[in-house]
Amino acid sequence: MFKQLPGKTSVFWKLAFLLVGFCLLMIWLSWSWGRYVLLQNAYLSKEARQVLSGYAAQAEQAWEAGQSAGIDAWLQQMGQRESGWIGVIGQDLQSLGSLPLNQAQSQRLTFLRGLDWPTSQRSKGVPWLKIPFPKDASLGSLVIELPERFTPGRYLWLWQLLTIGLIPALLSLLFCAGLYRLLIVPLNQLREQANALRADQWDNHLPQQITRRQDELGELGRAFEHMTRRLQSSVAVQQQLLRDLSHELRTPLSRLRVAWEGEQTLEPLRQRLGREIDGMQRLVDDTLQLAWLDTERERLPLEDIQIVALWEILAENACFESGWLPSRLTCSLDAGCWVRGHLNTLAQALENLLRNAVRHSPSDGQVHLGGRRDGEQWLLWLDDQGGGVAADELERIFAPFTRLEGSRPGDGGFGLGLSIARHSLLAQGGDMWAENNGAGLRVNMRLTARQD
Amino acid sequence: MTPERIAPPNILAIEDDPVLGAYVHEQLDRCGFRVTWCQSGLEGLKLARRQPFDLVLMDILLPGMSGLEVLLHLRGEQTTPVIMMSALGAEADRISGFRNGADDYLPKPFSVAELQVRIEAVLRRVALERRHMPAVPIPTQTTQGTLTFDELAGDVSFDWQHAELTRSEYRLLEILWRNAEEVLSKPFLYQQVLQRGYSRHDRSLDMHVSQIRRKLKAIGYVERQLRTVWGKGYVLTMADADV
Repeated sequence: MFKQLPGKTSVFWKLAFLLVGFCLLMIWLSWSWGRYVLLQNAYLSKEARQVLSGYAAQAEQAWEAGQSAGIDAWLQQMGQRESGWIGVIGQDLQSLGSLPLNQAQSQRLTFLRGLDWPTSQRSKGVPWLKIPFPKDASLGSLVIELPERFTPGRYLWLWQLLTIGLIPALLSLLFCAGLYRLLIVPLNQLREQANALRADQWDNHLPQQITRRQDELGELGRAFEHMTRRLQSSVAVQQQLLRDLSHELRTPLSRLRVAWEGEQTLEPLRQRLGREIDGMQRLVDDTLQLAWLDTERERLPLEDIQIVALWEILAENACFESGWLPSRLTCSLDAGCWVRGHLNTLAQALENLLRNAVRHSPSDGQVHLGGRRDGEQWLLWLDDQGGGVAADELERIFAPFTRLEGSRPGDGGFGLGLSIARHSLLAQGGDMWAENNGAGLRVNMRLTARQD
Repeated sequence: MTPERIAPPNILAIEDDPVLGAYVHEQLDRCGFRVTWCQSGLEGLKLARRQPFDLVLMDILLPGMSGLEVLLHLRGEQTTPVIMMSALGAEADRISGFRNGADDYLPKPFSVAELQVRIEAVLRRVALERRHMPAVPIPTQTTQGTLTFDELAGDVSFDWQHAELTRSEYRLLEILWRNAEEVLSKPFLYQQVLQRGYSRHDRSLDMHVSQIRRKLKAIGYVERQLRTVWGKGYVLTMADADV
């Protein structure tokens, strides 16, 4: 069931600590308060004790004043005040009054309680109390059936309702509020963030108290934040791409319009049409390709590729295209350079780099492919002698539709080649970056080596 | 390039765009095909069931029944080769077209010359398959010129040295050897050797060619060379003295 124990910062421990602590607290409170309340309710109240002690003092006075007859008179008088049985007994457990005790009464005299004894909630009958005379206890004691109004524990149910009902309910409510604050409030903030995204408010970010949390909710918050930023950049890139694309399409369209208005003879018009259509098609294809590489989440199927074999095809093609002599495209790699990649996108990346290098080379320039093994990877580089680019533009050349100062519009490039090349490499787990090599530009590629 | 044929091939074109449809119809007629053109998938399916065609050319986005659905129905009943056309162009579409059994896929916009090459490649492959089925006229070991073909091992050797070709490389070299001095188009070679359609950025065939060249060079075979014919395809030809 437990595949792995939750981490140290997991919300599990917080919950476990809180719940276990709360349960133990509740149990302890109920138990100790229940006991306390029961105990408190078992004793006679102070008032009851005063009244009853007073009775005993009166009985003693009555005895001292008139012995048996005094007691009788006093009992008579008491009979009107208290409805229960009252007697006065001596040391020998015999009545001090003139009326002797009957059998049942004598029997009950053996179960007498003191004034400060706890009464049992379980006993059914009304208890009889024995209160010794206050001045001289050896003379005798008052025995009285506890008057009903003095019965302890009459409000016990109220106390019990409070200790085992109301107070636990209140505490649970507080506990619930705490849990809600701990767990649901961050979720609500996430929901607000999601709603903000739905309303295209991209600059809305989660408060730091969520993203800095160490537990799962913090992780969720960070993942959410990461997703927001990724969506944000993705939308920005797509919008930029769309703007650039429509801008780039205007160039061939305006040229077509000029041709349509200005060109008088058919054959040059046909040739121009053909050129412009080719250009527009390449532009649309390349843009789609870039968008596809950017959004594709499925891993490209990888295979082992021999770089030299690939280079030979591409070099042959480049010579056809540019009219270069094959000797100007050189490669210092040997047949042992195998990488693991996706053939078609890798070929396209390398082809774009090669075209770019050829386009920017001087009339007698050379283009060279080199590389070395770097652990589990191959580091390849393509050098040209085209003078390179300014240091602060080394990164910018990989952005789509970037054309540097000095390159003419419509010279075959839309500024997509390097961008596609980098995205191709990234899509197969590689990387690409540029540097100046002194004579020109060096584009570096990092690719996974074939597993031997 | 054209194998022996008596009747012009029958082609069923299903394309809902009237301009493109009429143009394709007219141009293919001019190239010597007999074209039946219809504008909806359901109609096309009915036609295909009524009479046999040599090839079906079909758009993916069609009114009523989509091209992929028509393809699914067709594949359940017959083996007529199918070429899909689409402006969707996305990679995903290509893949789903092939999974359903299309023989080739042509992204729009395309030129008629390109379409013609694709159609001929598919028709030629089908014709070769039908002809070769009964008996393969290659003995286990044939010595042709000085290169020895070993059909069983799927390899060639020269001066007792084996080139160690892979299966695809062997098939490619064999078909080029059979048709030596003839330029074979990439779409045809894809159909014949790799059993799939060709697309612009596909480099698999080029890699095979590159490997064959390297391997033949490694065993010292120089009499014939595998040449690239720019924009057309590949040819196996006698080496020039000056190269």
